[in-house]
Amino acid sequence: MIVDGSKKLIFRLGGTGFLLELGDVVEVVERIAGMLDSSRSDIGRGIVSALQFRQTWIPVVDPALKLNIFSVVKLKDKKAVILRGSEGNWALLVDQVGELSAAENFHSCEIPFLLKVSAMGFYSQVKLLYNEPMIVFEPERYYGSTAVSI
Amino acid sequence: MSRFGLFQIDQFKFAVSLRLIKKILQNSKSYDLPRLPRTISAVLVDAGQLIPLLNLRQMIGRETQQEHLTQSYQVLVESEYGTVALPADLTGRIVDEQKGERSTIVEQEVDLGGVGSFIYQNEDYSILDINFLAIEMTQVFWQNQPDTGGARRHQ
Repeated sequence: MIVDGSKKLIFRLGGTGFLLELGDVVEVVERIAGMLDSSRSDIGRGIVSALQFRQTWIPVVDPALKLNIFSVVKLKDKKAVILRGSEGNWALLVDQVGELSAAENFHSCEIPFLLKVSAMGFYSQVKLLYNEPMIVFEPERYYGSTAVSI
Repeated sequence: MSRFGLFQIDQFKFAVSLRLIKKILQNSKSYDLPRLPRTISAVLVDAGQLIPLLNLRQMIGRETQQEHLTQSYQVLVESEYGTVALPADLTGRIVDEQKGERSTIVEQEVDLGGVGSFIYQNEDYSILDINFLAIEMTQVFWQNQPDTGGARRHQ
């Protein structure tokens, strides 16, 4: 597969937009209903379920829990963004997956001093896409050996 | 000569020193970001910068779920910690301090810095201490730190 590193994948959780390096993405699964096993959860590690993906079960992480984001989208209606990690593939639950956008469409934007303390541990970069703030999603904060549970 | 900008949100009237007011926006789009402090209702984007929008209704005890959706104006104010935005339903006038009366008696039940009030045409406007409000945003964080030195208030 040829990965265009200059593009970013946009996804949404609640009303918040996020961007993800395309190089981290394996695949987007649009329909996850019937492919989940909720008994395989490990809430301490942020794993809410397991998803059947390419003849195996992979952990499913819901970042909304850690980010304290309220979502009206039911679990069965969510999408899964499959990411490659140091411990293998894992699935990120999101409300919507948007379009790919070229890196040059994003403009760096500093997190205000007064918000840095509250963002600490959850995100460290925000970029503007057509004047809308997008959080740079850092997968290692949410799953893997370096992720810190809350 | 000192001047105040006079504003109102719900029934709460407040005054901000004109030298601190950077800009007044009307119906500016606001955005939620995760893990905002309770005292911040959203962020605005102005000139490529993120501006925290103070949840003034929450601070005066009149919080609603639609805080940042219902106000019409956002007053961008400079603080020692960067620009912050204050919501307002009504944007009032710019008034010379000499045309009103300053009072150091704080009749407001809510502690918003204790600077006092500005009485203009029989209306009482609480003078906001922007630096106090700004540092108030970080209180939850500071209170959880083992050694925050002088950053805490009311020591």
